Amino acid sequence: MSTKEERERIELLQGTLDLLILRTLRLGHAHGHAIAKAIEFNSDEVLQVEQGSLYPALHRLIKRGWISVEEGTSENNRRAKFYKLTLKGRRQLTVETRKWDKLAGAIARILRPSE
Amino acid sequence: MWRRKRMLKELDEDIREHIARETQDNIERGMSPEDARHAAMRKFGNVTQVMEETREVWSVVWLNQLLADIRFGLRMLRKNPGFTAVAVLTLALGIGANAAVFSVVYAVLLRPLPYKDPSSLIVLNETTPMVGTVSVSYPNFLDWRDQSHTFSEMAAVRGVGFNLAGVTQPENISGGAVSPNFLSMLGVRPFLGRDFDASEEKAGTPPVILLSYSLWQSHFGGDPNIVGRTIKLDDRSFTIVGVLPSNYRSLDKTDVMLPIGVWATDNSEDAKERGSRGDLGVIGRLATGVSLTKARAEMEGIAARLATEYPASNDRFGVALQPIRDAFVSDIRPAILVLFGAVMFVLLIACANVANLFLVRGASRTKEVALRIALGASRGRIISQMLTESFVLAVLGGVLGLALAVAGIGGMSRLIPADMLSGATVNLNGAVLLFAACVVALASFIFGLAPALHSTKPDVQSELKEGGRSGSAGAGQSQLRAALATAEISLALILLVGAGLMMKSLYRLLAVDPGFRPDRVLKLEMDLRTQQYSKDPAVLNFWQQVLEKVRVLPGVEAAAVGTAVPLTDSHGRADVTMEGMTAPAPGNYPHPDVHIISPGFVETLGIPLLRGRTFTDADDEKAPLVGMINAMTAKRFFPKEDPIGKRFMFGHPSTDPPKWYTIVGVVGDTRLYGLANPARLEVYVPFRQNPRSYMALVVKSGADPAALTSAIREAVQSIDKDQPLFAISTMKELVSNSVATRRMTLVLLGLFSGLALVLGAIGIYGVISYSVAQRTHEIGIRMALGAPRRDVFRLVVGQGLELAGIGIAIGIAGALGLARLMSSLLYGISATDFETFAGVSILLALVALLACFIPAQRAMRVDPTVALRYE
Repeated sequence: MSTKEERERIELLQGTLDLLILRTLRLGHAHGHAIAKAIEFNSDEVLQVEQGSLYPALHRLIKRGWISVEEGTSENNRRAKFYKLTLKGRRQLTVETRKWDKLAGAIARILRPSE
Repeated sequence: MWRRKRMLKELDEDIREHIARETQDNIERGMSPEDARHAAMRKFGNVTQVMEETREVWSVVWLNQLLADIRFGLRMLRKNPGFTAVAVLTLALGIGANAAVFSVVYAVLLRPLPYKDPSSLIVLNETTPMVGTVSVSYPNFLDWRDQSHTFSEMAAVRGVGFNLAGVTQPENISGGAVSPNFLSMLGVRPFLGRDFDASEEKAGTPPVILLSYSLWQSHFGGDPNIVGRTIKLDDRSFTIVGVLPSNYRSLDKTDVMLPIGVWATDNSEDAKERGSRGDLGVIGRLATGVSLTKARAEMEGIAARLATEYPASNDRFGVALQPIRDAFVSDIRPAILVLFGAVMFVLLIACANVANLFLVRGASRTKEVALRIALGASRGRIISQMLTESFVLAVLGGVLGLALAVAGIGGMSRLIPADMLSGATVNLNGAVLLFAACVVALASFIFGLAPALHSTKPDVQSELKEGGRSGSAGAGQSQLRAALATAEISLALILLVGAGLMMKSLYRLLAVDPGFRPDRVLKLEMDLRTQQYSKDPAVLNFWQQVLEKVRVLPGVEAAAVGTAVPLTDSHGRADVTMEGMTAPAPGNYPHPDVHIISPGFVETLGIPLLRGRTFTDADDEKAPLVGMINAMTAKRFFPKEDPIGKRFMFGHPSTDPPKWYTIVGVVGDTRLYGLANPARLEVYVPFRQNPRSYMALVVKSGADPAALTSAIREAVQSIDKDQPLFAISTMKELVSNSVATRRMTLVLLGLFSGLALVLGAIGIYGVISYSVAQRTHEIGIRMALGAPRRDVFRLVVGQGLELAGIGIAIGIAGALGLARLMSSLLYGISATDFETFAGVSILLALVALLACFIPAQRAMRVDPTVALRYE
């Protein structure tokens, strides 16, 4: 047990990782590690991503044609693979985001009917 | 696939890079390098598992799915052993019959002939309106070869028989005397030794010989040093120059092959006489780019020129060309194609039956399917899974079917007359297996698709809402099943009509009077070929001794010799001139079959004497020349007079001095060329006045004629120990063999149509009993409202008969169209024979009635109170 204050961490729902990757890549291309970092950072480190699980997700997205990959060199001149949103992926992101909003709203209404 | 490879190639590198970056970040946060690395690893998770999952993203989904579907299919089939057994057996019968018949189709019609470019090889014959297709005369062949340009090569093959003595049992072997380019034109190379040389075409060439592979094996033990050794044929030594390859196939049996020059030396007259046409065939290879039509036109021109140039021998003689494949398959092709069509029908019926089974079972699975669709399974996914299930079933049926086919092939090769196959071997080979695999795939589609499409129709989802009363299938399914049963009935009817027509034809054919009594008569042939028989008195003496010795054997009632026995291949024909006849054009002379016979020949064969007398021992070489004619000849030439005492001569009047034969008797016509072929003109002359070295001995016995064989052989060999007897068979066998193709067709067609009938009956039974089960409620109501049981019975049977009626009507229409295709196999009836069609329709209607009877009785026994209480 760590004595440090534990943040409450939430495991990702099935499938939401795809959405988060797409959202992250909307800001520009990035390599795997950077994507993981961005997801953790942008969620104030609430969302716990087991960084490895990023890779099956990335490959799934490539296979669907939503993101593409290209070779490049990173900021410190190291070889890296950069992932980039495709046009198809961009459209998919809109669809997925709308779906997510709907789902989140619905769940929220059920959980807090009085509000 | 390649993308998958590229994407996964650098995965481990990517992961390593990722962990390195995280480690670096951790170090920057102040961790020790070791801790930093551990933390990074922890945060990353299980590397192996990540790799595994990523790989799975790219894995071939359909393959896994297929395996899962196959497992599922097998599980479903195991769960319903009754259904599986019936379906597999039905399919096995259909597929097995197809594989067996296809093995014959392949062997006879499809397997490439073992020649170079066989499609450009053409068999040529001469034709005459008097007889039809006949052998070619050697001088005509030489002119054809010289004058034609549409053929790049042409070669002749003359059939020759030899007596092989000095072995345990003397035997007669068949040889082919060929033009030296014969083998090289076919693209055949001797297995051992050399081919013939162009110089070996001329008369006077030394006697050399090629052995067939099988003769080399059986008589020389496959001696590798055979070349240069000699073989004694007749009483002559032949130098063996080589051995033919084991897969060599020829139109006629070939035990040995020799250059035609050797034959021309021995038969110098035959080789020069343009009018002599005896067992000589010609094969040509079309020049590049020349069509058969063009070659035919050129050859007809050449034949016409020769007819004008040599009217005495060639008047009205033409030429016939056919691809070599046709010469090989000859008469059996229509029978094979009819049978192949028939097994296809059997397979379709089997598929319809299995589809019906699937639909019944599909009904009980409707809810399962509806539920899965409701849970989000795509329709395509469920259809593909159901098709996999039917495919698994078809594979099981195919495996069992192949086992049946192996048995079937054995049975069929016994049924098919050997000479019909002309050397083709029927067996289970790669081509047959491939065909069976295609049939399996096709069948699983035929019987699987309709039920799969049907049970996944979107509207079946209403099943869930309705609570599905025992999975009651909708009207759509009933219609589909009724349509399948109807189709089965119509296919079965077509097959039954085919079998019926064959049966009636064969019956008619066997009822034909052959003109002789085949009972208890044995036929054996002998060819006197050695030097000791070069003079006529020696030949006559031999035959006389044979007759004397055989006639006194116990059990022998009569014996005689003759040159032409009905229903065999050996026939002699000649132009004759009737005394006082106005001389016709050379090609228009009467051309009867000539029988050279001993006294007692017509009596032994039971050919009736109609007028005058038959030959006696007094009709010998010193007596006046006498002859007999058959009834047809008498009617043709002496319609109003008594032919006895009239005279005829062989050849044309210019022959001198004329040798007139006085007619002493008239005998009945015989069917020399098969029961289905009409009788021809025939004349008979005594053998003592026309000595022949090749004769057939016919023996009438008091009991089983075949039992006399060894006694006769001993009698003959007591005269000449080296003289072989061959082509031994009873006349009954000859009659039976002459209808063998038709009998084979009948037996198999009968078998297939019987199968079709049973399957069709099962189909109707299934549909009706299922419909009764479904209408129990309705029937209950009807009975509760006072419908008499009789009406219920009539209702059910009526439904079945309606299906049968529609099926029969469609079937009759189909049979009217298809039976024409088998008209060449029919005899004495038309392809639209009313009796057969009516009989078969009634038979099918009765079977359908029977199939409805059980379900109808069940319907009558429905207890209205019970039927209504449910629900």
